[in-house]
Amino acid sequence: MSASAQEVNNLINQEYKQGFVTELETNTFPPGLDESVIHKLSKIKNEPEFMLEYRLKAFRHWQTMKSPKWAFVDFEPIDYQSISYYSAPKRKEDGPKSLDEIDPQVLEAYKKLGIPLDEQERLAGVAVDAVFDSVSVATTFKGKLKDVGVIFCPISEALREHPELVKQYLGSVVPHTDNYFAALNAAVFTDGSFVYIPKGVRCPMELSTYFRINAANTGQFERTLIIADEGSHVSYLEGCTAPMRDENQLHAAVVELVAMKDAVIKYSTVQNWYPGDKNGLGGIYNFVTKRADCRGDNSKVSWTQVETGSAITWKYPSCVLTGDNAVGEFYSVALTNNYQQADTGTKMIHIGKNTRSTIVSKGISAGKAQNTYRGLVKVLKSAENARNYTQCDSLLVGDKCGAHTFPYIEVKQPSAQVEHEATTSKISEDQLFFCQQRGLSAEDAVSMIVNGFCKEVFKELPMEFAVEAQALLGLSLEGSVG
Amino acid sequence: MTTANASRYPAEYSNSVPLLCGQSLSWLKQQRTNALLQFSEQGFPALHEEEWRYTNVSAIEKKLFSPKVNKTTGFVDVEWLKSYQLEDAWSVVLVDGHFSAELSSLEGLPNDVLVKGMADALEEIPEVLERFINQAVSVDEHSFIAFNTAWFTDGLFVHLSNKQVLERPIQVLHIATQQDVLSATRTVIILDKLTEASIIETYVGYDNAYLSSAVTEVFVGKNADLTLYKMQCESEKAYHFGGVYVKQDCHARFRHHNFAFGALLARSDIHTDLDHASECELNGLYLGVKRQHIDNHTRINHTKSHGISRELYKGVLDGRARGVFQGRVIVAKDAQKTDSQMNNRNLLLSNEAEADSKPQLEIYADDVKCGHGVTVGQLDEKSIFYLQSRCVDEETARNILTFAFANEMVDKVRIKVLHEMILDQALLRFPQEGVNKEWL
Repeated sequence: MSASAQEVNNLINQEYKQGFVTELETNTFPPGLDESVIHKLSKIKNEPEFMLEYRLKAFRHWQTMKSPKWAFVDFEPIDYQSISYYSAPKRKEDGPKSLDEIDPQVLEAYKKLGIPLDEQERLAGVAVDAVFDSVSVATTFKGKLKDVGVIFCPISEALREHPELVKQYLGSVVPHTDNYFAALNAAVFTDGSFVYIPKGVRCPMELSTYFRINAANTGQFERTLIIADEGSHVSYLEGCTAPMRDENQLHAAVVELVAMKDAVIKYSTVQNWYPGDKNGLGGIYNFVTKRADCRGDNSKVSWTQVETGSAITWKYPSCVLTGDNAVGEFYSVALTNNYQQADTGTKMIHIGKNTRSTIVSKGISAGKAQNTYRGLVKVLKSAENARNYTQCDSLLVGDKCGAHTFPYIEVKQPSAQVEHEATTSKISEDQLFFCQQRGLSAEDAVSMIVNGFCKEVFKELPMEFAVEAQALLGLSLEGSVG
Repeated sequence: MTTANASRYPAEYSNSVPLLCGQSLSWLKQQRTNALLQFSEQGFPALHEEEWRYTNVSAIEKKLFSPKVNKTTGFVDVEWLKSYQLEDAWSVVLVDGHFSAELSSLEGLPNDVLVKGMADALEEIPEVLERFINQAVSVDEHSFIAFNTAWFTDGLFVHLSNKQVLERPIQVLHIATQQDVLSATRTVIILDKLTEASIIETYVGYDNAYLSSAVTEVFVGKNADLTLYKMQCESEKAYHFGGVYVKQDCHARFRHHNFAFGALLARSDIHTDLDHASECELNGLYLGVKRQHIDNHTRINHTKSHGISRELYKGVLDGRARGVFQGRVIVAKDAQKTDSQMNNRNLLLSNEAEADSKPQLEIYADDVKCGHGVTVGQLDEKSIFYLQSRCVDEETARNILTFAFANEMVDKVRIKVLHEMILDQALLRFPQEGVNKEWL
């Protein structure tokens, strides 16, 4: 652990540093949702006809559904008519061809966030798709990726240029009828990233999307679709931030991953939406559906997430292990502080033979927060020799928070081996004493112990993200340490 | 949500209501009316209720079991009954939901122990029961409680006072003798401070389809010690709902051993609330064969500090059986220094069997030690190989290991005669080829 006490103090005294607002001219729909909004949305995006039909189908289905109540979270009902469903920075007709055409304010905002969109400045080896409110503003390294056949572009562009691919895969993992928020997303999603890795290609660089909510009173509904064709390999990163506001904002995304035979997808998230202030005012509602379909034999999908932001996090990145010998992994650190609530976990559905899954979940709860792990491991009759290992550890910092573990295990195949273990504890006095006795301050010691607690998950993250995640952890524990 | 037929039971039972025990007591009448109202609205629990997501009880609604309100006991095969009666124990028999004084033997019971049929107790000491009925559980818990509250016909009342330490166990035999009968009983067990007792609840029946709904409320006083055994060997056509709801005072100790062997569909609730420094131990073994569905639902609620809880449930599932374990440990904000451990182990023996497990930790205090573990799997191939290498054929090896797995739970039974009986019951349900009872 390199952070000295001074650095930790700096971290503690810091506010949510991504909380600034960028002033710019936007093109925003008035609040409200009905079929005309969807028609308008589809038109503004210049989408093919099938997409409009899909959206309307989803919207009609959504209207018949009710907001789910089973999660261990508590929030005021959302008024879906008071949200604006589209907000984009004003720009020229066809969208920016190069960086010069992007609003300098937007560029500045990304610079402030440490995500330069200028390819020369960017760390080599990472291509970025930057999504600002409802639209993608820039995608870097597109040309270089195109050389090897990789398609990496905003999904609205993919809809225009590769409609056949989108039509084939969109909604095939998360159908529009899946759940309340997925249905809403299918009806009104505005943008997101589309990735296609052709057969046998190992993607030469990390792909990443950076989501930014800027406009007030809007919801962000993005959709990500990643298809890894036979024998391909891709690593994808996702980051997110939002300004500090007193009202809650809704972020309801859908992520679909498809892994064909022998393909590998690694999906990492560092989620740092605005968590609300110390009194629980404001913050993002992060209601996300993420699911991967390991369709082909020997395919592998690995989810890694570090969840430190959002007033409410409600997401379960899942793997449907359809192919034989498919592998699903889920590594998660969820940290809640102040009045944050998180109900997160995963689902592993074993269908194919010899499928394996690993779940490692670390929950840290501080302040008055509630942190829940909820996970399903389901082994169907066809999944001979399926194997699952689950470990859920919770750490409580302070005596006003809660940590809960709700695993669901359903096994229909006798040759399956399923193991689940969970512990809940606090930072032990012994450990603290040991560190302090060796000359570390209490803050340093806590930071070190928490980082050690999460190490198993951090080591799964790509390097730059791991550094960011460690720093975030110190920041989010602000006020509860010591 | 109301199922289409939810109203059939209240209508069917409306004539019998005036004949139920304790109808002259206004407080009980009020409770029954409220419960009936609630049940009429809700019907039986449905799959979309989180606590019932693995257990479909719609068959009970379809069957429409009839109530038996008159006390006349039908023919009881005494020889058959004897095979379930323990030697060296006080014995209480309830036939089709009614206390039978003739079949019970309570001779020599110490003066500080009161054992009575519920109907009698409601006549003789209603003021005591008013303080205890529906105090360990609320009708809001789920509609089986409302169902039982509305229509229980009899049951048992047990009260230990004056630091009485019972040397012999009390066996409570619930027997069902008639086709399509509903036997609904309410049992209240009260242990005053510093008393100790072992009570065995046994559920058996003739080879009929029937429904037994048994709710037991237990109050364990300061420093008191109760071991409660439940041996559920209902007929394989029967439906069983049994709930044990416990309130432990400080330093009280409660041990529960749950052997769920019988019934086509069985659900057991074991819920306990712990006070300061109380201890509880919940053990369970469920054996499912053929088309059995066995659901065990436990809840341990640590409300004050320094409580200790241990829980281990094991399941062996063969044929098309389905075993469900749902366990929840709640540690309240004031329950610092809680030490809790929960485990569930399942063995699947056939391709058609299914195990569902949902162990839950809900923790609001920071200075606690809590853990849970679940495994679902099959016998260890290495252990089988080891036995084979010692000249034991594969089938025998499998049988031995299966029994060894289950026997860990049977071995926790401290009453020798009961230990024997449970072992016999377990052996009845599994292939015994090569397994010698003497080894176990």
